Amino acid sequence: MTADPAVGFIGVGLLLAFLVLGVPIGVALGCVGLGGLVAVLGLEPALIKSGVVMFETLSRYELGTLPLFMLMAQLCFAAEASRDFFDAAARFVGHRRGGLAMASILGCAGFGAITGSSLATTATVGMVALPEMRRHGYADSLATGSLAAGGTLGQMVPPSGALIVFGIITEQSIGKLFTAALLPGLTQMLSYLAVIAIIVTLRPSVAPPTARASWSERFAALRRVADLLALIVVVIGGISVGWFTPSEAAAVGCIGAFLICLARRRLSWATLRTALHSTLRTSGMIYVIIVGALIFSVFISVTGVTEAVGAQITSLGTSPLVTMILIAVFLLIVGSVLDGLGLMLLTTPILLPIVEQQGLSAIWFGIFLVRAMEIGFVHPPLGLNLYVIQGVANDVPLGKIFRGVLPFIAADLMHLMMLILFPALALALPHWLSP
Amino acid sequence: MSGFSRRLENVLVATGGAGLLTAMTVDGIAVFGRHVGWPLLGSIEIVQAAVFVSGSIAMLLTSAMVAHARVHLLVDRLPAGARTAMRRFGLLLGALLFLALLAGSIWIAMDMWPGHEESELLHVPYKPLRVLAVGATAGIAVAFLFHAFRSERR
Repeated sequence: MTADPAVGFIGVGLLLAFLVLGVPIGVALGCVGLGGLVAVLGLEPALIKSGVVMFETLSRYELGTLPLFMLMAQLCFAAEASRDFFDAAARFVGHRRGGLAMASILGCAGFGAITGSSLATTATVGMVALPEMRRHGYADSLATGSLAAGGTLGQMVPPSGALIVFGIITEQSIGKLFTAALLPGLTQMLSYLAVIAIIVTLRPSVAPPTARASWSERFAALRRVADLLALIVVVIGGISVGWFTPSEAAAVGCIGAFLICLARRRLSWATLRTALHSTLRTSGMIYVIIVGALIFSVFISVTGVTEAVGAQITSLGTSPLVTMILIAVFLLIVGSVLDGLGLMLLTTPILLPIVEQQGLSAIWFGIFLVRAMEIGFVHPPLGLNLYVIQGVANDVPLGKIFRGVLPFIAADLMHLMMLILFPALALALPHWLSP
Repeated sequence: MSGFSRRLENVLVATGGAGLLTAMTVDGIAVFGRHVGWPLLGSIEIVQAAVFVSGSIAMLLTSAMVAHARVHLLVDRLPAGARTAMRRFGLLLGALLFLALLAGSIWIAMDMWPGHEESELLHVPYKPLRVLAVGATAGIAVAFLFHAFRSERR
């Protein structure tokens, strides 16, 4: 069989079929990639190439970034960071109409700056914030919707696990990706706060005001998160200004999280074992996906699928703006049936070269892709965050949670459009701060 | 969970965890050393080796626990029999993939074995890492096969 784009398209179709049939994502990527390489190059080169990918992937220095940030998150979780972030935000804005929903968003942003995961942020902040909002008479739709949407901030706010994976598979600077995510993460958070403000202005009954906390209570809550905030500032700030590389930042973050756990008397052998176990299990899952994705991307590049798709797009004669809108629509459609990592790893080898042909950088594409992935987390039929929230509030029907998240999805789409119209939103900070 | 599985899991967590904690400590000391003027030469090479150990073990642990990410959209809506068949199909494909990776890893290891590969500064030998990669890949393939046939017995 020759290295033809048609073979590549068959491979993409087969991959989609495998994924939908529930084959593990890494296995599906690896099998299609390896099978395709055997068909195109022959058995010996395919086996040798995959053996090389396996060893080189595991021996990459930056691979340590992911598990170390995960360990940091696990330790902060053990230190009850999610509760503290929500409590502090609730003390400051909780008394306003919709304030507890806003505090949930702020809590998600704060905890997201530790976990780097959308699902973990939604689940942990949800467990703390949802009962609180319901106790104060918030409408279920607003309470669940704001948490499902807010949880996606975990994916964008550094240290985002998705951005680390994107950096590894595309060989882009993880530090630049983190810095590039800061403004989009901030504007995304602000857009959610604006949505809540609009909702409570139009329908005040959905979010009754609560008692105002005294300034002493506020400062007490702020003191409880001071150590965590300092850790986040050092880790993210240190990467942005070039004090250390992302891998080193992850190590520094872990050491900081250890010290916080010690200071809060939350560190025990059992805690450490649980943290290490969860970290290894999750990072192992992602490593298998990365190995599979790298084999798959070798197959895609050998078959010339990217060039064929790029030529088709060029022949359409559309402007870069229209091309990017079409790509966004494509990502949103595929993202409604594939989970985030699957979407990233299937589409990146094909779309990244096309995006670069349009004059946009890989760093921008990483942010754009993660933003599109986030929307997939909150819209059906996949919408994993919706299921996570339903797991926390079993008595709230999924339809009500989805109705609650709809205004946030509208904000998401506008935010994605802003990212397309103003690439500087992602690229300005890395440009200004690059050491 | 059987006694053997629990012991295996404990060994994997201890070994992989030791790799992670080593990477954390060495990178932390390297950052501190660099900023106070005592750079830790070769720290990257130690971290690479530690991350290699924890990464190999992490993949093995995930496979032993069948904790791989998959798309549930269709599968969760299938009848139990079809769901089991799909699960087994995925596990067998996983075994096939890792057996192929095992073959590739052994091939490369045999080619490189006489070359005395080592890192530049600290001369960390690569042979143990290659052996670990081969062992972990074989272990992952066995784990996939074990779970595929175990589900068949059920």
